[in-house]
Amino acid sequence: MSHTAEVTTAKKRKGLMRKLNVWTGIVFGVVVAVAAHYLAKRYIPMGADETGTVLMDRVVITTMFGWTIGFMAGVGAFVGPYRWMMNRDLDHDDQMWLAGKDAGMARYFRFTTDHKVVGIQYLVITMVLFAVGGTMAMMIRTQLMRADSTFLNNTWYNTLVGMHGIIMIIATIIMVSGPFGNFVLPIMIGARDMAFPRLNALSFWLIFAAVPVLLSAPFLGGISTGWTAYAPLSTQAPAGMDAYIVTIIIFAVSSAVAGANITTTAVTMRARGMTWNRTPIFVFGTVASVGVAIPAFPMFMASQIFSGLDRTQGAAFYDAANGGSGWLYANLFWLMGHPEVYVILLPALAALLELTPVFSRSPLFSFNSAVGGIAGITGLSMLVWAHHMYASGWAPDLNGPFMLTTELISIPTGMLFLVFIGTIWRGRVWGRLPMLAVYAMLFNFLIGGLTGIYMSDVPVDYALHGSMYITAHFHYTLMGGALTGMIGATAYWFPKMTGRMLNEKIGIPAFVIMQVGFNVTFMGMFLVGLQGQQRRVAHYDKLFENGNFISTMGAYTIGFGALMLLYTVITSWRRGEVASDNPWGAKTLEWMVPTPVPLENFEVPPVVTSDPYGFGGPDAYDLEYEEDRRPSDDLETERV
Amino acid sequence: MSPVSVSTRIRHFTKRTYVRHVFLLWIFFTIMVGLFAPLQSKLMGPAASTQMEVVQETMTLFTYMAAPVAGLIFAVVTYSLLAWRSKGFVAPQYEGTNSRGNGPTTVAWILVSSLLCVVLLIWGLAEMADGQTARGDERARIINVTGNQWVWNFDYIENGNVRSQELYLPVNEPVLFHVTSVDVNHSFWIVQMGVKVDANAGAVTDMRVTPTLIGDFDIRCAELCGLNHSAMFTKVHVVSQGDYLAWILKNGGHQ
Ligand SMILES: [Cu+2]
Ligand SMILES: [Cu+2]
Repeated sequence: MSHTAEVTTAKKRKGLMRKLNVWTGIVFGVVVAVAAHYLAKRYIPMGADETGTVLMDRVVITTMFGWTIGFMAGVGAFVGPYRWMMNRDLDHDDQMWLAGKDAGMARYFRFTTDHKVVGIQYLVITMVLFAVGGTMAMMIRTQLMRADSTFLNNTWYNTLVGMHGIIMIIATIIMVSGPFGNFVLPIMIGARDMAFPRLNALSFWLIFAAVPVLLSAPFLGGISTGWTAYAPLSTQAPAGMDAYIVTIIIFAVSSAVAGANITTTAVTMRARGMTWNRTPIFVFGTVASVGVAIPAFPMFMASQIFSGLDRTQGAAFYDAANGGSGWLYANLFWLMGHPEVYVILLPALAALLELTPVFSRSPLFSFNSAVGGIAGITGLSMLVWAHHMYASGWAPDLNGPFMLTTELISIPTGMLFLVFIGTIWRGRVWGRLPMLAVYAMLFNFLIGGLTGIYMSDVPVDYALHGSMYITAHFHYTLMGGALTGMIGATAYWFPKMTGRMLNEKIGIPAFVIMQVGFNVTFMGMFLVGLQGQQRRVAHYDKLFENGNFISTMGAYTIGFGALMLLYTVITSWRRGEVASDNPWGAKTLEWMVPTPVPLENFEVPPVVTSDPYGFGGPDAYDLEYEEDRRPSDDLETERV
Repeated sequence: MSPVSVSTRIRHFTKRTYVRHVFLLWIFFTIMVGLFAPLQSKLMGPAASTQMEVVQETMTLFTYMAAPVAGLIFAVVTYSLLAWRSKGFVAPQYEGTNSRGNGPTTVAWILVSSLLCVVLLIWGLAEMADGQTARGDERARIINVTGNQWVWNFDYIENGNVRSQELYLPVNEPVLFHVTSVDVNHSFWIVQMGVKVDANAGAVTDMRVTPTLIGDFDIRCAELCGLNHSAMFTKVHVVSQGDYLAWILKNGGHQ
């Protein structure tokens, strides 16, 4: 083969790689899905005693994996490994093309490796998922406005409860470590990109591929199980359940990839001089979160693989009549399910910890307590899963030990509260939207945390488990705590990510409306929970009508506020006031680079000589003590 | 470093106006949070069993323990917002304190929260130990409970071949339920008695209760069990021991 011929082939091959984007992905995904569907229908054998539904499950699962693999191939996820196997590894030009150099808007619609593009992609998909999951919540609340409402039938009601749950869980898991863990974290630690840029793109596009799979569930008979998908109910459920199973398997791969990537980046790519005690607290929170996810999500994946095998192959992992056990499912599920709560919470709290010093103009109070709190929560989060199973009848003798571990979590969580209030104390509170989010989070998460302590107590849990009280409690932690934190993080990093300021003239009222609506909704839910309303019911006793009506009105208020906030985000993003490089006067590295951030972030790799919390001046009162005088009034006025 | 003694520092600290304001706010918020304790018990209704009495006691105690903690946090952040807010949208003109932490405060905080945690734990273990003794209670009347999409069946196995779909219990007598399911998971919940256990296919779970009030109470399924989960409810009729026996005999059972 002559030299010229080689160059030509290489050019041609490069040409194909450069033609792939989300549209070719969708087309190729649909083609492979259709092919897989017909092949499966034609060739998958059906046993003599099997019913048509089992065959349907096999076909549906094959089709969904066909779509996923086809889409990933079509979007260009396999270009790197393919070229590597062909012994024609990507050259510098290819890398630059993959990073989206000079590609403008188009780079958001293809397999782009630049961590800033991936961060924006995550932010958008998170907002889309919130919009979909939130609409479902509105429908659920509409059904529950009256005791015997007929807005939804039972099948639709159960499906929406399950879909709302799992969509919101996925959205909240990715909502901070996706957008900000990808966009902000590498710059914050002085890196030029993530450790594995292609894995980064892979993790995002897997989630993209999973969305249509999950949304197909209502058209396949729905999900009758709620987001917990307990067996044996899941074995009995229609083919919509297969959508759930495939979604979780894809999502588990995505989060494993993202977790490995973020952890490696934070551990190995910090700037020169950035020792661990000069590393911003957001990095600790995000690494802890994905670190918890790395052991937790494989459990979820295994639980769903078993579920799929039970449904399609009669594997009987969870079938008591054939030697299986539903408790096996419950254990696998909650081995993921409780750590996952902290996967969601930790990065959101850490983002707020990061911005509290900036908006108090004083250093983070007790950095070591913040790190210790995060570490303590991380460790304990793996040891508490069976507090979800006190009332399941599985191993009652273990209830005591699990009560112990659960109650211990309040100590590291309390340390984080101390850091928040200590930072605010004697600071100079700057009442912008990010700081309002800190306040709202402190209020909501305190309620969520304290009610959590009630339920860690075994007898109290016997009374409250499976009631609306639980629903209210975990919304206070995940929505009131974590989602509020995500809104704060968005408001804080919006100028860096979009180059424009978020319009707070509408943003703050929208946020306040959401918070008021939130508290009305879930206070109403605490009320009916205490009165004895069970969770996940489409109809209820007249006794609960008042509380439910309150909840529904609150939910509509949240919906209104959320739409306002969405409007603010979209309009500010398109034509908001142009932001300076460091509008908040913060000291972390992401604010030291220009906006918009250049492709490789830093022209010269930064060298770090201190932590980013060097705010504040000597406290006037402390100065007084040096001279052992009484604090005088004029001193206080002078400072104001 | 500082020549001032600790006691002087504390004395001066408590004399600052803002510290006094925060202290007043602390008391205010503590009372506000504490008010939730009686409200909770009221919403849960009169306790219909010894178990529910324990639940309500626990929730009341925990609320009173939580009140000062929540109150302090609310007081500090509220005061900071009201008094030390930098007005307007522009960046603050002045900086806050440059203090990077306070060792004694941190240690005290961790110690107090650990202590509270120990109290919670001992309280919980003590309650559960009471439950353990009840486990050995041989006098408990055994009733089998079977969940079935979407009804409950009760078998009064100590009184012959009696089955019902509404539960009858004699007042002030301990009962031991053996709970199971013939299909998917359900959860057997007697609401006003504060007890609940899942009904699992292929397994029998135990639940104990001693009803203390005569009257009709609610049984609701507390685990999503498919299409008509919301319709899976029934009543428990707690009656005098004489009335219970009469009901058993009327339904073909024996003493
Ligand atoms: Cu948990
Ligand atoms: Cu049920």
